[in-house]
Amino acid sequence: MKNFLKTVLTNRPGWLKVSLVCAVFISCGLIQSFRAKNAEPYVLQYPANFGSRFVIPEGNPITKEGIYLGRLLFYEKALSANNNISCESCHQQKLAFTDGKAFSTGTDGSLTARNSMSLANLLWVRNFFWDGRSPGLEDQAKFPLTDPHEMGQPLSESARKLNNTTLYPPLFAKAFCSSVITEDQILKALSQFERTLISAGSNYDRYLAGNYQPTAQQFRGMQLFESGPDPKSGIRGANCGHCHGGVKTFKELFHNNGLDSVATDIGREQFTGQSTDRARFRVPTLRNIMLTAPYMHDGRFSTIEQVLDHYNAHIQQSPTLSAFLQDISNDPGGKNLALTKDEKADLTAFLGMLTDSLFTTNPAFSNPHPVLNP
Amino acid sequence: MSKTKFSKQSIAASLLLLLCAAFSSFAQNTATLSISGEVTTPLELKSADLASFKQVSHKVKDRDGKEHEFSGVALIEILEKAGVTTGAKLRGENLAKYLLISASDGYEVLYSLAEIDPDFTDQVILLATTKDGQPLANGEGPFRIITPNDKKPARWIREVRSIKVAFAK
Repeated sequence: MKNFLKTVLTNRPGWLKVSLVCAVFISCGLIQSFRAKNAEPYVLQYPANFGSRFVIPEGNPITKEGIYLGRLLFYEKALSANNNISCESCHQQKLAFTDGKAFSTGTDGSLTARNSMSLANLLWVRNFFWDGRSPGLEDQAKFPLTDPHEMGQPLSESARKLNNTTLYPPLFAKAFCSSVITEDQILKALSQFERTLISAGSNYDRYLAGNYQPTAQQFRGMQLFESGPDPKSGIRGANCGHCHGGVKTFKELFHNNGLDSVATDIGREQFTGQSTDRARFRVPTLRNIMLTAPYMHDGRFSTIEQVLDHYNAHIQQSPTLSAFLQDISNDPGGKNLALTKDEKADLTAFLGMLTDSLFTTNPAFSNPHPVLNP
Repeated sequence: MSKTKFSKQSIAASLLLLLCAAFSSFAQNTATLSISGEVTTPLELKSADLASFKQVSHKVKDRDGKEHEFSGVALIEILEKAGVTTGAKLRGENLAKYLLISASDGYEVLYSLAEIDPDFTDQVILLATTKDGQPLANGEGPFRIITPNDKKPARWIREVRSIKVAFAK
């Protein structure tokens, strides 16, 4: 035995190194599964009518430690190249995680190409961004973190910076069982936090649960929102529900909604390479819509009235214009929706029911860092 | 020494992979229909590829309330070509298989395999490519499903881009 050890140590150093490396890997794997079991699982709370058509990646179960870490990172300016912006800069809680601007300003002062999207109910989103190019939150987070017009910092640099803090290494160790912070863990923690951003506490939710009586105007707006126009049967409608129907107020769809006859931003075509996808953009959630102006992928409309006017009377023809926005009217044989001024006001009143102040003030979503200059 | 060689190889392989990925995402200008999932032969079909199949047509009332003649191929034939468990093989656990049909706008509908199989139903579900003798227009084609016995045409999915066969789990 003594001789054998001696042989291994002296004559076969390569063999020894390999075994040592193996041993480290195996024990790390063991510790990882042990710790993952020890991190406290978090159970997502949402109303049954939202359904459970979502996937949480196997490698990133939601834990209390992971969510808290993700929340810290969401508000962490060290993740930007110039330490001057965080995710929050373009996604402010009080504005349902938008920023009130047509385009957002990145770490180097340049502007983004598209309007900052609300982060409500991302748990149910299957294709992220206005063009749907990203299939999951973990993948999605890479873009804003590294895009030169957004936070502009390679993930490797973000990991390096966080490793050099006193705050983060123990928190990552708790959430992911690792002594070294990795790029993947940053994305995973952010995703865990984002999955908890559930907006289901609006008056509309209360109405659906039988706990809120809409005003007459809100009720008329709701009817218009949900109905397709059928002048022959005397049914007036705005047909919003065709794309924004259901309790989540979005469907996983991409449509050209007639903003331009010749699009300057080709939208989903850029990602799919299919010319039939020209100027198609994601159908976004209408949750908290009164807080998320300006509207559309380029923030061209600053008020909800302008949005309603667009759908009502200014749809632009183009080869990829959504079939659901053509030849649909409250007038027999009409070419546009032809809603009245009062009907548009009714719709606006209903849209106001989608504002969820519990969501925009929920302390669990707020900045967890000590704020020096409030 | 051998370590360096290996990493060079892997770099070359990753570059090749990247190139393939980039190429495939830009090379799809002609709309294709993909059949994947629980199949023996995954298919990528263009409109022209359907000419070799038996042509079928249905005269049905569409959403506009008017009658139109849709022509194309019986969906079951496409599934058979892809090697889906149809006919005598559609028994046991295979009865828990379904088709998830996706459109290019993201719309999705579902059919169970048994709903499509002629051993179970007389209805011929059509993968249509023409309407009243004309190729289906933008926003509707090049492929659309026509299910005559569905009273509501919500599953007559337009712009079909993919059909995935899967087991309910």
